[in-house]
Formats: sequence, C-alpha cells, structure tokens
Amino acid sequence: MLNFIIRRLVVIFPMVLIVVTLTWGLIRLAPGNFYTGEKRIPPAIQENIKRKYGLDKPWYVQYGRMMGNIVRGDFGTSLSYPGQSVNQILARTLPVSATLGLTAYLLALVIGLVAGTLAALRQNSRLDYASMGLAMLGISMPNFVLGPLLVLIFSLTLYWLPPARWEGFPSRSIILPVITLSAIYMAYIARLTRSGMLEVLRSDYVRTARAKGLSETQVILRHVMRGGIMPVVSFTGPVLALLITGTVVVERIFALPGLGNYFLNANLARDEPLIIGIVAFISIIILVFNLLVDISYAFIDPRIRY
Amino acid sequence: MSKLSAQRIRLGLLLTALASMIAGCTALGKNEVFFGKVTPPPAQVMRYVSGSETESLDNQVGSGNNDIRIYMALSEGLFEYDPKDMSPMPAIAERYEPNKDSSEFVFHLRENARWSNNEPITAQDFAYTFRRALSPELASRNAYLAYYIKYGQAYNSDSSFVRDPQTGQFLLAKDFAAPVGAAKESEAAANGSIPAGEDPALDTPFHHFMHEPDRVTLSGDKKEREAALAANPKLKEAVKGKEFVPIKPEDIGVEAIDDHTLRVTLSQSAPFFVKLLPHTVFRAVPRKVIEQYKDAWATPDHMISSGAFRLKTWKPYDKIVVERNPYYWDAANVHLDEIVFYPVQDAITVMNMYKAGEIDAMANHQVPGSWLDRIRPLRDYMDAPEAGNEYYDFNTKKPPMDNKLVRKAFNMSINKVEYAQWRKIIRPLLTFVPGEIFPGYPAPKGDEFNPEKAKQLLAQAGYKDDQGNFDPKKFPANQVEITYNPDGSNQPIAEYLQAKWKQNLGLTLPLKAMEWRSFVSARPKLEYKGIARDAWGADYMDPFTFLNLFYTGGENGCGWSSPKYDAMLDEANRTLDPVKRYDLLAKAEAFLLDEQPVMPLATTATNWMKKPYVKGMYPNPGSLHAWKFIYIEHDQSKWDNGMPDMKKTDAESVAANR
Repeated sequence: MLNFIIRRLVVIFPMVLIVVTLTWGLIRLAPGNFYTGEKRIPPAIQENIKRKYGLDKPWYVQYGRMMGNIVRGDFGTSLSYPGQSVNQILARTLPVSATLGLTAYLLALVIGLVAGTLAALRQNSRLDYASMGLAMLGISMPNFVLGPLLVLIFSLTLYWLPPARWEGFPSRSIILPVITLSAIYMAYIARLTRSGMLEVLRSDYVRTARAKGLSETQVILRHVMRGGIMPVVSFTGPVLALLITGTVVVERIFALPGLGNYFLNANLARDEPLIIGIVAFISIIILVFNLLVDISYAFIDPRIRY
Repeated sequence: MSKLSAQRIRLGLLLTALASMIAGCTALGKNEVFFGKVTPPPAQVMRYVSGSETESLDNQVGSGNNDIRIYMALSEGLFEYDPKDMSPMPAIAERYEPNKDSSEFVFHLRENARWSNNEPITAQDFAYTFRRALSPELASRNAYLAYYIKYGQAYNSDSSFVRDPQTGQFLLAKDFAAPVGAAKESEAAANGSIPAGEDPALDTPFHHFMHEPDRVTLSGDKKEREAALAANPKLKEAVKGKEFVPIKPEDIGVEAIDDHTLRVTLSQSAPFFVKLLPHTVFRAVPRKVIEQYKDAWATPDHMISSGAFRLKTWKPYDKIVVERNPYYWDAANVHLDEIVFYPVQDAITVMNMYKAGEIDAMANHQVPGSWLDRIRPLRDYMDAPEAGNEYYDFNTKKPPMDNKLVRKAFNMSINKVEYAQWRKIIRPLLTFVPGEIFPGYPAPKGDEFNPEKAKQLLAQAGYKDDQGNFDPKKFPANQVEITYNPDGSNQPIAEYLQAKWKQNLGLTLPLKAMEWRSFVSARPKLEYKGIARDAWGADYMDPFTFLNLFYTGGENGCGWSSPKYDAMLDEANRTLDPVKRYDLLAKAEAFLLDEQPVMPLATTATNWMKKPYVKGMYPNPGSLHAWKFIYIEHDQSKWDNGMPDMKKTDAESVAANR
C-alpha cells in the first residue's frame, strides 16, 4: 500500500511539468499577447512592456525562468494584474471556489445517494420514476440555463435571494450558486448509485447475506451500499478536483471571486504566469484526488488490495 | 390508458405552472416606467458595477474605462472631466496660461489641495506624476498621451541625446533635416526669455534649456538606432566619436517653478493639451508611497490618494469600496460617503443586480442587445451620443482596396441611415469624427448612400464588361474578406454588411471571424484581406483625437498616410483661434474622407442605466463620472424622470470657464 502511494506521488511531479510545458507551448502558439487591445499602442510602449516583463528575452530563457519558478513553488507575477503574484491570487480565490465546490458536492452527494438508493430499492415504482425523471432533467439542463432560471424566480420575482455576488460562507448568497452547481452532479450520483445498487442487489454475495439470515437493513447498509457506491467513488475524484478549482460558468453567472473566473480571464488575456500557475495547480489537485480515490477503494471494496 | 393520460395531465399542469411563473416575471414589464426596484439606499452610499476586474488601482497603469471610472474617485489631476460634457474643468489647477502658440502652459495650483494623509499636493508632485507617466520602467500603455511634452516621447522610448565629449555640445535636430526623434521645430523655440512685465521667477535655466534648439534623440534600442542612422548618412557620420547621453526624467518639458506653479513645455503646438489633462494618467500620484512600496503601493494598506475619495477595501473580483477623503480640498461639496464598485463582467448578471435593486447604476454598454426593445423605453435608460465611432478599415496596401475608387464604391453601397435603424442605439455616421459631441465643429460631408454611383466607380476602376458597365464577376471578391472578432454584435454586423454588398453590388464577400486577441494583433499589421472591423473612443474631447489616428505613424489599421494630411493637421494645431482651428481640422477631415481609407458606420451611443434617485450623474460622451457631484436623492419629487438634463446651467458654464 505504502509502496503504491509513493510510486504514484513520484509520478505526479514529472506529470505536472509535462502539462505545464504543453500549456506554455500552447500559449506561445496562440496569436496576440496580453498588452494588445482595441486601442493600438505605439511600438515604443510595446517594447517597454516587453522589457518590463522579460518578454524580450529568447524563448529558452523565458522557459527556464518559468520552470525555475515552478520548481520553487512560486508562479511569478500576473501580467494582467500587475503587482499581484499568482500565489496570492490562488490563495485568495481557492477558498471561494473550494467552499462553493465542496458545499455543492456534499449537497449532491447526500441527495443523490438517498434518491439513488431509494430508487434502486423500489425499482420501477413511482418513486423510482420520479427520481430518475428529475435526474434526467438535472443532467439535460445545463447550468447556464438553470442558474438564470433560478435567479429569475427567486431573485427577480420573489425577491428572496440575491441574484449574484459572494458574501462568504454561510450566507444567503451561496444558496443559488450551490444549487445551480450541484444539480447536474446530484443527478449523476443518483443514477450511478441506482445502477450500482441494482447490480449489487442481484449479486451472489447479497443472496448469501440474505440466506444467512441478516436483517434487510443490515444487508443494505453493510453489503449492498458498500458495493453500490463504488461507481460514485470513482466519479468523485476528478469531479471534486474540478469543483474545488472553480467552475467558470457558475462563477461568472453569479459574479463570484473564484478561481474559475480568473482562469477564464487569464486565458482570454494571455496572462502566461497566471495560466501556468492555475494549470499546474489544477493538475496537482486532480492527480492527488485520483490517488485518494484509488486509496479509498482499498477501504471500501474488500476485493481490492494494493 | 387512463393512467397514462392522468400522468400527462399532471405533467402538463406542471409545465403550465412553470411557464406562467416565467411569463409572470417578464409580464412585470407591462406598465413599469423603471426597471425593477426603485428604493434608494438609506445612506449616501452608491453601488455601481464598474465592469471587468480592475487591472490595478495605480491610476497610471490601467487603461480601460472600467479602471478609469474607479481612478476618477481615487485621484485628481489639474483638471477634471465636466460631468455633463467632459470638457476640462479646473480641479487642482485653479487657472492656467498658454503661451502665444499653445506650446507651453503655466498652471497655477490651488494652495489647499491635500493628499488623503493631509499633506499638501504641490507642483513637484505633478512634475513627478508626469515624468512617471512617461517612464519606460512603468511601461504605461497611456504614456502616448503625454508624448506632446517636450522630449517625452524620446524619454519613453529610452532614447539618448548625442554629445561631443570634447566640446560638450549636443547634436541638434535642425542640422539633420531628416526626421530624427523630435525634429519638429517648435514655434516658440527661438528663445526662452520671458516677455517683459512677466514674473521674473518664471525665467529659469530649465526654461532656457527647453527653448534651445531641439536636440537629436536616438533610440536606446540598438536595432532601431542603427536603422535611424542608416536612413540618415549625414547623421551617421556626425555620431562617430560622440557619446550617447540617456534622456533622464528631468529632461522632459515639465518644471515645478514653485510649490504652486507648474510649467509644461510641449514639442509642438497643441491647443487641445488642456483637454487631455483630466485623463487619469495625468492625475497626481504620491511619490513617497510609490518609492517605498513599489508595485504594491495602490493597496488598502498603503495607498494615499489625491481624489475626493480614498480606498477603504479592495477584494479583487468582489468589490472595491472607497470612502470620502476628509482632507480633499472640496470635501464640503462631496455628497457620497461611500462608493462600492462591483467588478461584474456578465451583462445579464449586471441587469439582474440592477433589477433586484442591488446596484444603483452600471458602467456603459451593459444592456445586452436583445434586451434593448424592452429596456429602451424605460425612463432609467441612458441613451446619448458617445465620443466614439464604429468603422471598417480598408487595407490600403493591397489590391483591390489600394484603389481609392474601390474604397469609395464600397463605402457608398452601404446605407448608414438604414444601418443605424437596424442597430437601434447608434447614430448614422458619414464622416469619421463622431457627430453631435463636438459643438461648433463644422463636420464635412461624407459620401451618401448611392449604389448606382458605386457601380460606376467600380467600372471606372476597371471591373467592367464590354459595354463598360460594372461586372461583379471581374471583381476579385476572393481577395476581400470581411474580417472581425465575433464578440458582442460584431457577427450580425458583419453579416449585415455582407448581405448589403451582395444586394447592392452583387459581390459575395466571405466572412472571416478571428478571436479578439488574435484580431487586434493582426489588424495593425494589415494581416487581413480587404476589410476589417474597427472602432475608436476619444482620449480627450477634441476632434483631433480621431483625426490624429491617420497622422503618419498613427496607430490606425488601414495603412494609409499622407504628408498633405499631416501638414493640414499641423496647420490647424498652430491656429490659436478655436473657430478657425475647427475649420482647418474639418478641412483635413474632408481630405481624409475623400481618400476613404476607412468606411465610417456610426457614432456609438451610451447604453446603461441608473436609478432615478441617483442625481448628478450624466450620460456624457464617455460615460465617465466625476463622482464628487453624484448623490442619492431621497425626495421622490426631485428624481430624474427620464434622461437628466444635459444642458449646463449658467453657474456651471462660468465655473468651467474660470
């Protein structure tokens, strides 16, 4: 087990460097740069800007400096927000995105698991149809439709909740973004749980459990659930990583100061240090979460050993 | 069967309920005169959406209007934009005197101007501010606005003077006729002495230096320097054995004569110079704080501000709160206690916040195009002409658009009036300088819509059949792409033009969409075929800010220039009588329009909303607001029931002309 974890951790580092190098190359390929705008600026001023940010140096010097920064864990200074370091930006935006993402995921997990389990246990009942119907709606309705719809109803018609902005956790302002964000995951989790449970319910070891006289509650909690939520666990790793590191659409609709908003604007602005910093950070998070998921298999599924 | 239909009925009911709920929300619009809630906040606290997140709170760094609107609360310059028409009104400068050809200005500063830490704001602060604006290390994108200051451009380009180490003499531009650096001889260069009867304190050694003949300046960039020398053999010879003396910030034409007198010497006549000074790049910045904290000076912990407000909170992508600056010289006349700026990018989110009464006003260009039919009739919608235009560039360096006849034909085959009606919130524009916003400017006539004439011109250009009539098949339509970035309404506009050229000339021109950053870097390099979308917003309230784009070396996207046009603009700027000057500028514009390097389409219009209880805020030509005049009116009878009155009162006119 320990061996497995160490092996995986060792791989993370070169993987991140590869991702960063590819990203760096792609930024170079994209036409335009962070200082060109609708208003054209004289060449002398462009030269000043290039000199100020070291963009007048040859590409290998720039690449070396960027890699050096990353190895030191310092992503440099943003180009589109002069004076703000990428580390500062990450430190400021991550709590917002993580709070939003985690809350949304917990909500999705609780409701999704309950709905999925009930639907599986009462297969083909009205409850099953109703929850799976809603889940289908949740999957089919993109969050850029759901968000404005919720705002229209709860903020602009009923005036119950604010239509946008972040007022910290907990506050009324996070209710709509959390619901908007969690809907699709809630739906996925419900469907994954249901299908996972249905498969397990028909398996031999569940029949054995029943045969040896366990009560139905014990069968469900100790045997069915454990096997049934495996697909949900696999799903959790990457999804949680993405949710924590920001969700562009929801952050934009609700004007939230999260990482997603920065990431989108950094790309549009060709803000190289900020893009690289966020990409490196997201890759680390995704790799770590996948590792955590793999580790958790060993605890949930007695058949898996590392 | 019966079970199924029962389910269907239930589903139907559910959908109907949902639909009526949504319809209910929109039906609110039936009898309303304002959009959403109109309950004023209890205190004098204004909540405003300022657009995208600010780049920096350093008023010499950011260049977008989203930044400038915040800077206008935190900083003050010699002049402030008039809230109604954006003409310069005295701020820290109480009065000023231009010299006889408007190439030198003496500003008299008020003695009670204070920083937000109660220290006095002096002429030395402004000298520092102007030098910093031009410093290559700061690399401000707005530095070009200060290029009129003598040796300003050279200093910003990291250039050097050339000195003979033996004699200590500098090479002079007039000895090397070819254009090298600031070779344009200033009219007042003759001598630096002060006319008899004037304050002898104004006669300083620096003033004499400013009025010595212009020195040669050579770029600090080796490649550029060598190119300049290669182009001028006489200079190349003269430079041999000489030393390069880098231009220092103290060499540029800015001088603090005493604590309250600032003199600015320009490299050319610029009667419009004072109109530039309200720009935030010229607003006072605190030297001590900047030298101590470098890039981090403009943060809540360190910032000292020169404006009516000072920084209280800054949470990026969340909010910026500014509060009344108690030491501001005119604090007694500042109404608002606080302004909260929300950086919200998504226009629909902005509209939602406005409707829900979470904000009191919004930045310009926030109402989405598809909402206009519903929003425009409301009384809190701000619709006024803007100091901006929309046009398309012709690539004048490549065929077929290198032919003036073709350019004229393309321009004549678009009906600008019909176009403006289709766009709803703009005004048709046949000339280049936007209409209505420069009172007294005798705009020339541009070519009217005339598709028949257009075809004749194209036939004249050689695209004709045997009878001599225009033949669309002869025209190289594949060499012309309607190039644009598909943001906002640009896509439908390009499609509109495509349809009209098809309809009126029988030409099918391909569309070419490019991502914005790619587009704006390709356009000035003329890396497009035929036609490209373009627009310009005024840097200052003078027609020259538009006409200057086509001055040789100007930052335009069409590649056109003409010595004759340059001379016409120079002549206008040497003219002191404002009426005659406008006449000359209009003549230059007529010449420009005759050459048709661009196809003007429209004067843009403001497009934003403010609650009726927000007073003192106007849709001026840039929608840039002097915040100190704005207040929340709690007495409903005094609210703005529609567009606020934009006419200046007599008192305001007097104040502006002090």
